[in-house]
Amino acid sequence: MDWECCWDKDAIALGDCPNIREGDEDLLESPRRRILEKCCDCPNFKRDLERFQASGHPLGPVFCLIHDEYRRQQIHIQSLISFLDSKSLEIRFLHELGSVLQSSVDLEEVLSVALTAITAGRGFGMNRAFLLMVDNKRDHLHGYLAIGPRNFEEAHQVWDEIAHNDMDLQTLAQSFRENKLTAERVKFHDILEQLSVPLSNTTHILVKALDGKKPLLVEDAYHHPDVDPEFARLLGVDTFLLMPLVSRNRRVGMIIADNCITHRHITEEDMHSLETFTFPVAFAIERASLYERLQEELSRVTEAHTKLKLQQELIVRMEKMALVGRITSSIAHSIRNPLMIIGGFARSMLKNTPAGDPKRNFIESIVGEARQLEGVLDEILNYSDSLYPTKDFWDINQLVETALHDSADTLRTSGYQSTFSAGSELPPAYIDFKQVSYCLRTIIQCDLNGAGRERLMDIHTRRVDDTIVIRIQDHGRYISQEELDAILVPFSSTQEMGAGLGLALCKTMLEKQGIPLYAQTVPEDGIIFTIILPIRKEEQQ
Amino acid sequence: MSRLLVVDDEANIRLLYAEELADEGYDVVTAAGTAEAVEKLQDDAFDLAVLDIKLKNESGIELLQKLVKERHDMPVILCSAFSCYKDDFSAWLADGYVVKSGDLSELKQEIARVLAKKAQRQKAGL
Repeated sequence: MDWECCWDKDAIALGDCPNIREGDEDLLESPRRRILEKCCDCPNFKRDLERFQASGHPLGPVFCLIHDEYRRQQIHIQSLISFLDSKSLEIRFLHELGSVLQSSVDLEEVLSVALTAITAGRGFGMNRAFLLMVDNKRDHLHGYLAIGPRNFEEAHQVWDEIAHNDMDLQTLAQSFRENKLTAERVKFHDILEQLSVPLSNTTHILVKALDGKKPLLVEDAYHHPDVDPEFARLLGVDTFLLMPLVSRNRRVGMIIADNCITHRHITEEDMHSLETFTFPVAFAIERASLYERLQEELSRVTEAHTKLKLQQELIVRMEKMALVGRITSSIAHSIRNPLMIIGGFARSMLKNTPAGDPKRNFIESIVGEARQLEGVLDEILNYSDSLYPTKDFWDINQLVETALHDSADTLRTSGYQSTFSAGSELPPAYIDFKQVSYCLRTIIQCDLNGAGRERLMDIHTRRVDDTIVIRIQDHGRYISQEELDAILVPFSSTQEMGAGLGLALCKTMLEKQGIPLYAQTVPEDGIIFTIILPIRKEEQQ
Repeated sequence: MSRLLVVDDEANIRLLYAEELADEGYDVVTAAGTAEAVEKLQDDAFDLAVLDIKLKNESGIELLQKLVKERHDMPVILCSAFSCYKDDFSAWLADGYVVKSGDLSELKQEIARVLAKKAQRQKAGL
């Protein structure tokens, strides 16, 4: 019998078999492989078998049966290979997804990855996905984020872009987070805002699916008995997938996915694939949310710790200051009595010593030195007092009037005149009355060398925004700005009586209360002191 | 001549006050502590008392409270090395407050002021 197929030949040439093409040359001289790989699919071989069966040989029907079964098994194996390939791809994708989700504690990143995975072509390939989160405080399920195109044009543009860039899932999610997250929120704001359901509404399809903890494929949504038509209209599709996000029996949220652009049929297979994916997503979202809360708590605790530390330091400082205050006060008392006795008796002796007596100079020196030491003592005690400011609301015009009244003798002795222009309707200022009074008196009475235009002191008070400004212009005393700045630094000058603390102490005292003191010289026209007082408690901070 | 009682635990300060105030024309009696002051107050009448606040183991403020209660017609001036008592409510019972200084002018002025005020009150029959 002449056979049409080449199965009976040990070697053939290229062109003898219609199924052997260039690249398959090694089959030309291997009849076994040629029969198994090519002949079984060859129509010539099929015809040879039919002819063999027609010849009446008893093995003819057996060969045909074996050939048919072989073909069937081959097709089945091919289908299994295809299935295996698709599952391998899916597992690879889930592995990639799992790695990203497991390694992130950033909520935004987790959400970006989750939604990108649902909509990416190499992911689950859905067109659009909405994420709803459970708000336990409000007991609501509310729209949080969405991803996907809103129309056909946008869809093509996005898909072309993705295809062109050929990014893996993580890169795609990162790109989405960095470039599109905010825009997507804005784009779907209208829908997300309306996707809010109280968890108590157990008849709502979303709450039902969430409580059931199982994914749900909703078809024919506009006529579905469990779907509120308003909800179906809001999504604008009749088929969608609901995937509850549940972690350790806690309701975390819900993903709604659909194919609003391509209208590709959502299969049971799609649903099962996505079901595998929702567990790690729910867990990652819950973990990221907890981490976010932990961070908030940590920052609160850190803040409280810092505050506590500051308070502790303040208490220690205050205790030290109180101790310093007590020591200072005690020393001052111990010094003041002997000093008073020395100065007092020296004065008595001076009164009874005739003008020409040579001892008079010595006694005068004792009186002068004792007076100076008393001045130093007063400054030290004033500093000790300044450690404990007691603030309240006070009338500033009255304070200035009192300071001027207290300084009247000193000003008169120095040949000074003073004017006071009181600002009208000033609110009370929040200050330590005693300290500000002391500062004002010190400024008015300070003994600076130099001569200005005239012996005149002008004081003005006025309101500027939330402050009261006291402006003291001393036309009679003129020094350079450098000298004036130096006087405002403790112990830098001995021009004043005492330790040179007077104005410097005032500046320190006021600054402790958060009150600025500025001193500016006016060429040939004295000095302007400006004190800015707060009228509100918070201005002190 | 106004009669003054000066109470201070420092002997030299008592001496200084006695000398200086006598020069001003006052009759000055001194006491070193509360017990001595009370004793002298029982024996004599005084127009004014000058009290130190920190006495050895005693408080001038307590003596002030006793005097206000029992001798309310006699004004009291507190004379202390501490300026802080000026803001103490209990010190407000006194008619005057002077911080100790080698220059006694302020004390002398205060004594004159308080005595003049007392004279006015007496004149008005209060």
